[in-house]
Amino acid sequence: MITNPTKPLSQPVDLFYLTSKNAWLLWCCQLLNLSTLLLEISTWMIAVIALCLCWQALLLHNRLNTNKKHSKVNISVKQQMAISSMLLMFIAVSGCIAIAISARSLGVLVSMLHLLTFAYTLKAFEIKKRKDFYQLFLLGLFLLASALIFKQTLAFSLLIVFFLIINLTILHRVFSPTKTLLLASKTVCILLLQSALLAVTLFIVFPRLSPFWQVPSVNSAKIGLSDEVSPGDIASLALSSDLAFRVDFKREQIPDYSTLYWRAMTLENFDGKKWTRAKDDINKTLSQVTSPNVIFEPETSGLSILYDVTVEPSYQPWLFGLAVATSNDARVALMSDYTIQSRNVLSQITHYQVKSYLHSSLDLTINEVDKQRNLSIVKGSNPRLEKLAAKLIKQYVDPIDRAQAVLETFRESHYFYTLQPPKLLNNSLDQFYFDTKSGFCVHYASSFTYLMRAAGIPARVVTGYLGGEYNNVNAAALSQQNGQQGGHLSIYQYDAHAWSEIWLHGIGWKKIDPTAAVDPQRVESGWSNTLVTQQLSMNNGFIGLYQFKRISWINELRLQLDALDYQWTRWVLGFSSKQQYDLLKRLFGKQMPWKIAGIVAIALISSMALVTLFYRFNMKIFKRKNVTPWFSLYQKALKILATKGLHKPVNMTAFDFSMLVTARLPQISKEFLDFTLTFEQLNYRKLSDLERELHLSRLKKQYKGITANLS
Amino acid sequence: MQKTLLAILSQIESVVIGKPHECRLALACLLAQGHLLIEDLPGMGKTTLAQALAKNLSLSYQRTQFTSDLLPSDVIGISIFNSETKQFELHKGPIFNQVVLADEINRASPKTQSALLEAMAENQVSIDGITHILPRPFFVIATQNPLFHAGTYPLPESQLDRFMMKISLGFPDIDAEKSILLSNNVQATESTLINDIICVDTLISMQNTIENVHASTSIIEYIIALCRISRGQEMTEKTDKIVCKPLSPRAGKALLAAARAWAFIDNRDYLLPDDIKAVFYNVCEHRLDLNITEQQHVSGSISERILDAVNVLNPLNA
Repeated sequence: MITNPTKPLSQPVDLFYLTSKNAWLLWCCQLLNLSTLLLEISTWMIAVIALCLCWQALLLHNRLNTNKKHSKVNISVKQQMAISSMLLMFIAVSGCIAIAISARSLGVLVSMLHLLTFAYTLKAFEIKKRKDFYQLFLLGLFLLASALIFKQTLAFSLLIVFFLIINLTILHRVFSPTKTLLLASKTVCILLLQSALLAVTLFIVFPRLSPFWQVPSVNSAKIGLSDEVSPGDIASLALSSDLAFRVDFKREQIPDYSTLYWRAMTLENFDGKKWTRAKDDINKTLSQVTSPNVIFEPETSGLSILYDVTVEPSYQPWLFGLAVATSNDARVALMSDYTIQSRNVLSQITHYQVKSYLHSSLDLTINEVDKQRNLSIVKGSNPRLEKLAAKLIKQYVDPIDRAQAVLETFRESHYFYTLQPPKLLNNSLDQFYFDTKSGFCVHYASSFTYLMRAAGIPARVVTGYLGGEYNNVNAAALSQQNGQQGGHLSIYQYDAHAWSEIWLHGIGWKKIDPTAAVDPQRVESGWSNTLVTQQLSMNNGFIGLYQFKRISWINELRLQLDALDYQWTRWVLGFSSKQQYDLLKRLFGKQMPWKIAGIVAIALISSMALVTLFYRFNMKIFKRKNVTPWFSLYQKALKILATKGLHKPVNMTAFDFSMLVTARLPQISKEFLDFTLTFEQLNYRKLSDLERELHLSRLKKQYKGITANLS
Repeated sequence: MQKTLLAILSQIESVVIGKPHECRLALACLLAQGHLLIEDLPGMGKTTLAQALAKNLSLSYQRTQFTSDLLPSDVIGISIFNSETKQFELHKGPIFNQVVLADEINRASPKTQSALLEAMAENQVSIDGITHILPRPFFVIATQNPLFHAGTYPLPESQLDRFMMKISLGFPDIDAEKSILLSNNVQATESTLINDIICVDTLISMQNTIENVHASTSIIEYIIALCRISRGQEMTEKTDKIVCKPLSPRAGKALLAAARAWAFIDNRDYLLPDDIKAVFYNVCEHRLDLNITEQQHVSGSISERILDAVNVLNPLNA
């Protein structure tokens, strides 16, 4: 009796059935997707999500058991999977209310993200239809994309791509359950690679419409330097190994480490406890930010170097440069204290070019207001220092000698550089200078500045970063080619620093770093060994990197990664509309808009012409697309045989041809016969989807067998 | 079911020696519920084949020798007044059998021929205004001598079309002829045949199964392409116009049915182009041929030329 191999599936069409294995895979995939946002969502939401996931796992487990018990009884999917819709509704509504309540403290973006993750978790409870599965899948993709709002490092992006592949693989598997995971992921990877081309093209040419697509600013927690400093502040930064910014010197000679003082801001007001920016400086900032016409033009002369700075988002406006820094970038405002600032808060990676005149002087003349501000001290707050200042005034006439004397004191009198200084009462500089004698940059800078002011020399505290890690991995190839130096500096948060500037006649503002007097190593090459040892003994997780720095190959690897990350930041994350414009300009030359318009027009016209041609020629190309995979594979085999001089007459059936092949090419007789039989099954037999897939994979194997035997 | 079929086939082949292909075609024709025309010279084994088919399948069988004076009522039957019961009684003719062997059909007058062929087409006969349904399965095997023989009335095309297949046995080869000559007598052979291998119900269920043999789109397109070529509708540059009678859609249906039966005998539940090719000559040649008398055993028949002109794998987009 010949049985009819394919009966229409008895399942109702709208019911969507996930096999238990696929359901588990989907569950794992959900877990992965949610894990990308783990750091961003609040604890209570994590708990709710974890609970829901556990519940789902339990349901899946139960379903597996019931399936085993009643393997022949067809239990409806509804009974197995879903929890009562009323309960689900209740959870959803109460969850939404909770999110709404906490929205105020969370902010718009994060509360929306809570809603998204919550919906994603709950959706898994009601996968009844194909549509539901699609929704869950798309939500998952959206979740992955939103994770990129918070972190865009190369490693994290690669992780997201990996998760994307997992998601797509599961989508693929759900609809072709016979494929192995490996095979499915292979297909997915091939498809992704093919689509990557389009993605890259769009990335390069699609206009960057930032106002439309801007995500609400993520977290207003400011990173890095703050605009007020009291002794003890920068120590917390020193514990952070986050990247602050990177500097690319391109072809310029990199200045010595000890001259790399990256100025961020000057602090001129001192209220006895903390240093803050001058009031009218702040006002000036605001006015300059709003009206770009008012621009401070520093007088510059002498040698200059040109470099690119790529700043990580800090949610503050400070930009960094070596004095005297100038820039042609419209986004960069030059401040009257020779610092540079962004016109907007840095909420994303920003890229700007700076020209620094290293030997140019700052403010050869000083107006009375500025002078008075930089001389003011709170009388009586630090009486012992004031006394010392009076003594200095008597002792030395030349202001520079007074400064030298103080530095000499720091150098000679057992001052100690440490990140864990003893606590000072009321931030008393007296106590630091005369009693504890241990502190870090801010302590030295502020007490030095105070002392200078008391001694009648205008002085101010400058904060910024010192030094940076030189990385020449990217430049190595370049320098081999044209013998030039290059590479980039990576400046981390632990490079944060504070120093002083005193104003001298005929010289202007002169940089003086009292820390250099205490711990020369800190200034010349970064953290001194003693400090690192001290930090390591505190065991507070600081500078895990520093331990590695001692092992050369790990350090090498770290530098390589840093170089890679720099390129990623530079070319992918920092690919702004300006850079896009520059790139297109470089590609298309001067008359760029016309050329682009021309290319688009030519592309449009030619594609239209092609389409018309296809229609004219009876749409042969379109028809060919309907060719089944087995048919094209068979044709491929025929082509191979044709190269062996064996042509198949069109009127010959596949089986007859296989007989001919058997006679003429005995070495592949068996393979080709099997191949033909499988082809016949696929082409002429009525097969279920599953059988077809099996046959097709068999056909592919047999095809490989033929090619292997022929060659 | 397959085993039984092969057993039947081997039985038939043991009687009609040396003609396995023709035996298989005849069986396929029967399974496809078509009628069979055997055309050959006298004494080539036409009758033997017909008998073997009928007896093996345990069907009721009657042979009618067609002559020029045979009347339609001799075939269909006649109502005769019974003087005892004072009623007309129907005397059923040989057509009320399941297998009817119409021997030398082209000797009968056209009137009688058409009576038979009407019954074949409709599976029913009307006698005195009463319609009688013919038994199922109903299978007519007609034999005819080549038309150049004296005293024949050629069957018109319309009637030839009612036969699903036309086969001719041809002369046996040396070995076959040897064994034919050595076998004792026809009677002895016939007696071995009378063991019923299958019952009627099995045969009918086989016929039903055959209707479900799967024909893929590609196969349907192949059949359409063959038909269109015969009609001159689709000509490629390579082939000259083939001069022939066009194949009707009914011919296409017959071709499909016969090929299905062929595939079924081959133990397949789906059609291959090979099946179409195998039966094409016998199903279509008598519908295509302009001059039935001339081209008998000539190679390079119209059928072959049509088959050659069609791309098997990609029939309509050649």
